[in-house]
Amino acid sequence: AAMPVPVPVGVLRLPRGPEGSSRGFSPTSPRFQALLGGPAAAQGVRAALRERYLRGLAAARGRSTRFCLRAGVCVEAVFGAADVAAVAFQVDALRTPLGVQAAALLRCTDVLAYSFLL
Amino acid sequence: MNDWQMKSPLDWEKYVNKMVKVAAVEKHEYEGWVLTVDPVSASVVLATFLENEKVSISVVLGHAVQEVEILKEGDDEMKQRLSCIFVPEESKVYSPEELEKRKNDLKTWLEANHIPVTEQGESGRTLCVVGVLTIDPPYGPEECSSSNEIILSRVQGLIQGYLERHQ
Repeated sequence: AAMPVPVPVGVLRLPRGPEGSSRGFSPTSPRFQALLGGPAAAQGVRAALRERYLRGLAAARGRSTRFCLRAGVCVEAVFGAADVAAVAFQVDALRTPLGVQAAALLRCTDVLAYSFLL
Repeated sequence: MNDWQMKSPLDWEKYVNKMVKVAAVEKHEYEGWVLTVDPVSASVVLATFLENEKVSISVVLGHAVQEVEILKEGDDEMKQRLSCIFVPEESKVYSPEELEKRKNDLKTWLEANHIPVTEQGESGRTLCVVGVLTIDPPYGPEECSSSNEIILSRVQGLIQGYLERHQ
């Protein structure tokens, strides 16, 4: 008797991590280490620091922001969003020597500092 | 990852509410009051108070930080000031008594300035000005409605000035 044709099993693909090559948290990253549960006191402080930082990002949203990139290059744009792993910033109306880009991503590794007025 | 990024949250916390000088790569320097250090990217968030009551926020990305030097400790007043910077404006909720008082105060002030005003709607909660403009609770410029743009603009300006002086 012929063997029944096996039913293909769906392959579950995990999303790529922010680094692009991995499949989730890098096990050596401080974020993952913190997730495993360091000392309780450090966790509380970590949460408080992060909350303030996230509120800062919320305050930046929609504001004209100056980004200092490498080699003395500075660009202005309207702050859009930041991703959770600090890989990139999304901005609107990025002013470049070639014109204004309606929307753009700035890699965090390219940005040295950014500032805005409240 | 540089030394700064390798620090623990307890280390970073020591810099919060202090005036610091951040030395960054490519010889950049930043000074300001530390609002926080992001534990994910180790970015330092600095606040500088400008003359025109505006605050300048600078964020130095963790990977660019070479050294952070503490210049000054913030006193309680500064700590309080810094903690309020990112707090979103709270939408105020008024009690029925507060709303009634706001309405009556505004009505009295409008009448004192010879502006015809009546109360209408359920329990008289809406003020009607000159018969063409209505003001709903909580009786601010945003709560004014009218099909007459000129009167709307004028009354909004009056109420704005009134609230600024009387609050």
